[in-house]
Amino acid sequence: MSEKIYAFFLRLYPDHFRQEYGDEALQLFRDRARDERGFFSRLRLWMDLLFDLTVSLPREYFHFPAPRAVTSAPQPVRGIPSFHVLQNEPLRPGALLSGGVLSLVALTTCWLSLISVVGPYHPAVRPPQGSSSSESSSPSRSFQPNQGDSASTSGRYAVPGGNLDPVERKRILAATISNLKEHYVDRDAAQKMASALAAHESHGDYDAVADRAAFAVLLTQQMHEINPDRHLTFEYFQDPLPPQPPAQPTGVSPQYRDAMKQQNCTFEKVELLPHNIGYLKFNSFPDPEVCRVEAMAAMTYVNHADVVIFDLRDNRGGSPEMVQLLGAYLFDHPEYWYNPREATSAQSWTQSPVPGSDLAGKPIFILTSSRTISGAEQFSYNLKMLKRATLVGETTGGAAHAGVFHRLDDHFGIGIPEVKSINPYSDNDWAETGVAPDVQISAPNALDAALKLARARLAKK
Amino acid sequence: MPKRTLDPLPSAAFQILLALVGEDLHGYAIMRQVAEQTDGRIRLGPGTLYSSIRSLLENGLIEELDAREDADSGDERRRYYRLTSAGRKLASAEAHRLADVLRVARAKKILRGRYV
Repeated sequence: MSEKIYAFFLRLYPDHFRQEYGDEALQLFRDRARDERGFFSRLRLWMDLLFDLTVSLPREYFHFPAPRAVTSAPQPVRGIPSFHVLQNEPLRPGALLSGGVLSLVALTTCWLSLISVVGPYHPAVRPPQGSSSSESSSPSRSFQPNQGDSASTSGRYAVPGGNLDPVERKRILAATISNLKEHYVDRDAAQKMASALAAHESHGDYDAVADRAAFAVLLTQQMHEINPDRHLTFEYFQDPLPPQPPAQPTGVSPQYRDAMKQQNCTFEKVELLPHNIGYLKFNSFPDPEVCRVEAMAAMTYVNHADVVIFDLRDNRGGSPEMVQLLGAYLFDHPEYWYNPREATSAQSWTQSPVPGSDLAGKPIFILTSSRTISGAEQFSYNLKMLKRATLVGETTGGAAHAGVFHRLDDHFGIGIPEVKSINPYSDNDWAETGVAPDVQISAPNALDAALKLARARLAKK
Repeated sequence: MPKRTLDPLPSAAFQILLALVGEDLHGYAIMRQVAEQTDGRIRLGPGTLYSSIRSLLENGLIEELDAREDADSGDERRRYYRLTSAGRKLASAEAHRLADVLRVARAKKILRGRYV
């Protein structure tokens, strides 16, 4: 945290200083912060830094004015307006002041107008897309991330949900209880939860709950009190859930096939960076039925790299088969691969070694952000738990999508795990909590940090 | 970019030159050495330190060595700095100038306590 604050202060220095000595200044701060612990030492450190800022900042701007890049600026073509960016030109204090004031005014106006139009801010809640269920009980795997952004669907957000009338409440409770008993993997626990919910109802515990969203939070809490399974979630959706589409034929839809073709199977970058560092940025784990060749080509491209960085900062998950397929490249023997969606079976081990793969044993870094969810979290979680990769970035979004979604009515649904998957590492995986990185750093800075770590690792060899 | 003049030699720059007498150091080690040789009175912040280092480099008073790992921390590659012969001459001249000042101060009996 304190490093971030100092990094922010460093931005006040002119470009030429930051480019030349920004890393060193930050390193010096890190060194002092490491060596000077305790309240008074830390206080002295910050006093020193603030004093240093007040002394050295003006000197950097006024004693070292950057030359104007007059000669190098491209001459405008006559008659055509153009802009020149004088990047090294120090900002005048007046410009800073007026810019600051204007920004404040703009932000305040924006905020006030938002408040007056939509009321206080609440995180958006979106229904799962493509729900294929009947009015009360038909299931669908609507939590699959490649069907849309479903990280924000969780009922844990308290969105004012309008009034819940007793008739609807009774109907929803009955549907919840019957779905639990019918589908939940642990029949005993299902019975206990169902009894508890029925008891709460008969005691009149829900009579005072008029808000739909609050009802969803309460119901989830009560189920978790009996059975703390975070994959089991009762959800409220502010926007009406889509009605059930006609049953889709199994397999990959033509639309998905086309979309993957157009997006190169979401592989955005496949590169070899300096120092022979392989870099893969892909934004989903596409279905191997469509994208197997592309995925294998990407892995082959970095096969002889000394280090590989998987950039999952914008990865929204997808096919668990692809998650496991890519994971298999990184081992020289089969490893147990935890998948909360599938019951543990012989298929729960990676198909390692992958013939021709040179990646087993190579250092692996994974870049994460708070937008990293679902299958991307499964990839990160398994490799972290197997101590096979170093995670660099932010804690991930915390969307396991392990339950099968059952639509209860236009606004309520329940995600029910229907299989038992063995998690050898802990009772809870990343559902709700996310996967914590090994090196915590803001997502935009994660690549630089990982490159630095990778180079340090290579230098040690 | 115009060079920053080091005449008169700022106190921070002089301390850095003194810190580099006898051994090559990286930024943090220079900061610690300066704190040590001034009994903690001068703790150079990153801005002052690297601004001074740049001026000294531009004036040929110190030189930058190839980055290498720090013997203490082991895993970080750091830039090391070495005093040049011009830097040594300037430090020596500055020390003589201060010695002259000190002599005058002593003669005027304005030094109290255990100083020098």
